[in-house]
Amino acid sequence: MGKIIAVHSYKGGTGKTLLSVNLAATFAKNGKKVAIFDLDFRAPSLFAILKAENSEVWFNDYLNSTAEVSNILVDLSSKISGGGKFFAGLANPATEAIRDMSSKDRKWEMRALGRLLALKESLITEQGFDYLIFDTSPGLQYSSINAIVAADFVVVATTGDRSDVDGTKRMLKELYNLFEKKTGLVLNKVLDASATSKKSEIAAKIKTSYQVPMLGIVPCFCEILRAEGNLIFVQDKPDHPFTKILAEMARKIADNEVN
Amino acid sequence: MIKDQAIIKKPLNILEKIEESLERLNDKMEVIIEIQKTSGDNQKSAPGLPEASLDVMTLLSMPDHLRKTAMAICRCTKATAEEIAEQTSRARAVESAYLNQLVIMGYLKKTRKGRKAYFYVDRETTG
Repeated sequence: MGKIIAVHSYKGGTGKTLLSVNLAATFAKNGKKVAIFDLDFRAPSLFAILKAENSEVWFNDYLNSTAEVSNILVDLSSKISGGGKFFAGLANPATEAIRDMSSKDRKWEMRALGRLLALKESLITEQGFDYLIFDTSPGLQYSSINAIVAADFVVVATTGDRSDVDGTKRMLKELYNLFEKKTGLVLNKVLDASATSKKSEIAAKIKTSYQVPMLGIVPCFCEILRAEGNLIFVQDKPDHPFTKILAEMARKIADNEVN
Repeated sequence: MIKDQAIIKKPLNILEKIEESLERLNDKMEVIIEIQKTSGDNQKSAPGLPEASLDVMTLLSMPDHLRKTAMAICRCTKATAEEIAEQTSRARAVESAYLNQLVIMGYLKKTRKGRKAYFYVDRETTG
């Protein structure tokens, strides 16, 4: 049975989109059928990273009930080697669309939750998708919480930044716990994390501090910054340590090892 | 022999009808109990008022026991108290009371099909 994974964080700039894209690409490289969705309707970015600017129908249209999911999915399988399937549901970056999505009422948000929950039936059960990955917007807002409620597993991206740590702790306690969600923490942009001793030290510290399972530690890689979001890293740099870390995360999620 | 069967069938039918009436009565009583519990200063819980939306912020602000039921019903299109009880691992009667409470609060709709009561989130009504 397929899984819905939401990638979320308290603050912006924690690497949600980078993790979402590369986690989705890792699953696809492993031969899985994957769809990634951009739920950051206020600052869409997936279209640029996946170079799919010319879309005419968007994920917005699916949530607005003006299009079906099969019409809005963009097939990007050719970008990934390994025989898997890689689809994307993109958020519309037009200013008009952003404004429209920012002014939705509670009733619309309730229907949007219904549309997200329905993806389980339409894509996972009927079309045999293995993973649906929701790249969310940071903090507590409707689109992110909708994604979390609809998800089977939440990947929480965080950095060592003081302003991020406290907020993330609060979110774990007051959001994911209330919805009884399984979560896995990814500590991103870690300095000097290459030494094995340092890694286990960080992992132990995180476990005591956040009280949630650790999914992975990602060191700060200059190559990722240099790429400026122009590539699907795990596809283009198969031997890079980042690719190996992502492969391990994907394995843990697939094997239900995050408990 | 056929005559015997007919004789047995009649009281069975009557018993089924009695059971059906009792279940309806039970549902009505649960609703009355819930109305009494929540009436008074909380006008929102009075029946007949416009429906409230069961969105995620509402879910977050709910008491834990109701959130569990509401989350379970959100995942189904339509469900009986028994089906919700299977998901939440709580007793059917408990879920029935919570579901009826959510109906009174305007978050859920209830419909009957034969003897069974189905609960659902009305996502189609506009407004």
